[in-house]
Amino acid sequence: MVELPTVLDGLGDALSLTNLMFVIAGVAVGQFIGALPGTGPVMAMAVAIPFTFVLDPLPAIAFLVGVNKGGLFGGAIPAILINTPGTPDAAATALDGHPLAKKGKPVKAMKMALFSSVTGDTFSDIVLITLSAPLAIVALQMGPVEIFALMIFAFSIIAGLIGDSITKALIAVVLGLFFAMIGLDPEHGTPRLYFGYFELFDGLPLTAVAIGMLAVAEIFRRLAKIGKSVLSTIDIPDTQAPEDRRVSRAEYWSCRYVMLRGAVIGTVLGAIPGIGSTAAAFMSYASTKQASKEPESFGKGNIQGVAATESANSAVMGANLIPLLAIGIPGSITAALLISAFKIHGIQPGPLLFEQQGRLIYGLFGAMMMANLMNLLIGQASLRLWAKIISAPESLVFSAALVLCITGVYASTGGMFGVAVMLAFAILGYLMTRFGYSVVIFIIAFFLGNKLELSLSQTLVILDGDPMAIINFPVALALLLLSLFSICWLGYLAPRKARRRNAASDNKLNDEGKSVN
Amino acid sequence: MLLNRLSGAFFVSLGLLLYFAVIPAHTEIVDYGWMRPQSIPNACAILLVILGVVQAVFPTGAVSVNLPELFRTSLFVAITISALWAMANFGFLMVVPLFVGVIMLIVGERRVGWLVGGVIILPVVIWLTVVPLLERTLP
Repeated sequence: MVELPTVLDGLGDALSLTNLMFVIAGVAVGQFIGALPGTGPVMAMAVAIPFTFVLDPLPAIAFLVGVNKGGLFGGAIPAILINTPGTPDAAATALDGHPLAKKGKPVKAMKMALFSSVTGDTFSDIVLITLSAPLAIVALQMGPVEIFALMIFAFSIIAGLIGDSITKALIAVVLGLFFAMIGLDPEHGTPRLYFGYFELFDGLPLTAVAIGMLAVAEIFRRLAKIGKSVLSTIDIPDTQAPEDRRVSRAEYWSCRYVMLRGAVIGTVLGAIPGIGSTAAAFMSYASTKQASKEPESFGKGNIQGVAATESANSAVMGANLIPLLAIGIPGSITAALLISAFKIHGIQPGPLLFEQQGRLIYGLFGAMMMANLMNLLIGQASLRLWAKIISAPESLVFSAALVLCITGVYASTGGMFGVAVMLAFAILGYLMTRFGYSVVIFIIAFFLGNKLELSLSQTLVILDGDPMAIINFPVALALLLLSLFSICWLGYLAPRKARRRNAASDNKLNDEGKSVN
Repeated sequence: MLLNRLSGAFFVSLGLLLYFAVIPAHTEIVDYGWMRPQSIPNACAILLVILGVVQAVFPTGAVSVNLPELFRTSLFVAITISALWAMANFGFLMVVPLFVGVIMLIVGERRVGWLVGGVIILPVVIWLTVVPLLERTLP
């Protein structure tokens, strides 16, 4: 589909000096923000996105990819040094990383986190580069009926996998779709639900909605929770035995299967919309512990625990982009944020990207591989610096993040209206999170809403208004049946089975307790 | 459990409000074509009512509402709204130092060095980045 000269041109663009500088800047910013306690790659990207609209598309997206990759590793630093993972992704890293640091090997723990993060990330990027173009070819064979069914299927999977209540997840989907309806109706071109605000003719600005719900809501929550206690950090001694401040080749090699397993788990889970890096990190950690000859050493500073979690949570990032680039469906917060960056530059993610913007896509792939290398080099060079900044006060970190969000959205949407939308959605996002309604599902549904309406409209024309005519479209029919099955299975049958299993094991434990007594 | 049921009841009310009041008043009614401007909004409103009833009757999922935290969050939201209003009227450089200073003091920051960083250095750096460097305006 994409010709070789286009691929080579794209890779050439990625290797230009300007692009390299933006990748380096992105990785450094990502590692810096990730290392601040309480922040992570999502916050880093949310703050950075509006400022990239002055750049050309490739440097802008390369910068954001660098921020994300740097942030993923940066999040491991507070997890290891102060046992305070900034994001749930890094929570599993703290299980063995912090005990290892307490044993006097903080640098070794951080370096292992860095190496395994880069290894997992590179593996996942290679899978992305290999798979996304063929998948996009398949996606391009689909007509509106199949695309509509595919979106319904994606919603059912995401709703079933994110959160602990399918009803709440479906409410989040419907709410996201409703807000996507604001603006011009695609079929008749009539304005709707704009309440007299002409700024809403083009719909709600995605950047303002995404930043409000994902970053500002979290900033408010963090500000409200700031305590007066100062987190105790593990000092890095100036003089350490060389073997305690480096990861030897033998140690790295001994973790090869652990990292490979983590990378495979992260890549597979990352490619499925809705499953995040937290699940991948914990699953990889659990399977490594299970496969180990010394499972009792886990949780007490086993370096394999750090390798397992970091390789898995970083591998999710590249794989997350597979559904986004191949079929235009974002599967995670990061992908949803990247979409707003694409949209700022007037680019519509999806299978047509390979045909229309092949050079940009291969430039992005090249930038991703470069970002992995830069992540390794900058991480190696700056570990001690990042270890110092974790003592920066949360009061300043979150105030600065709030002002940056306001400034960024003001600059990218061109006025205070966008900032007001951001604030309104921050309040909505905060309340949804507190009441257990997923904002990630909301954002994904919000992004896909217009596409869904358009494909439904085309589907009805093709079917001539007769829903039974869907039997003439076997792929769409199969996808719709699978959606029904996944809602029933993921939403009702699997949780019921899990509850029964838990109840049975509780009863068994109670019976054992009674017989012991 | 009660809050879960209440959240379900809220979505039932929201769905009804949208279906009977908001959508008819703010959507141009078109009566031709398979898909009309009001079709998906109406479908969303109906689904909100149905799912809201399900949530109210069979509540599922966790709720983590903490009243003191909610109160503190409301305070920060109120401060931010006031700051945005003030920014639109008095300008970025006049308001942001005060805004950041108030937030930092409320969360308990008393170290002069960090306060100076937030109140003076942060707004100046952001202004210098956005206005002269990126050549964009700020309020």
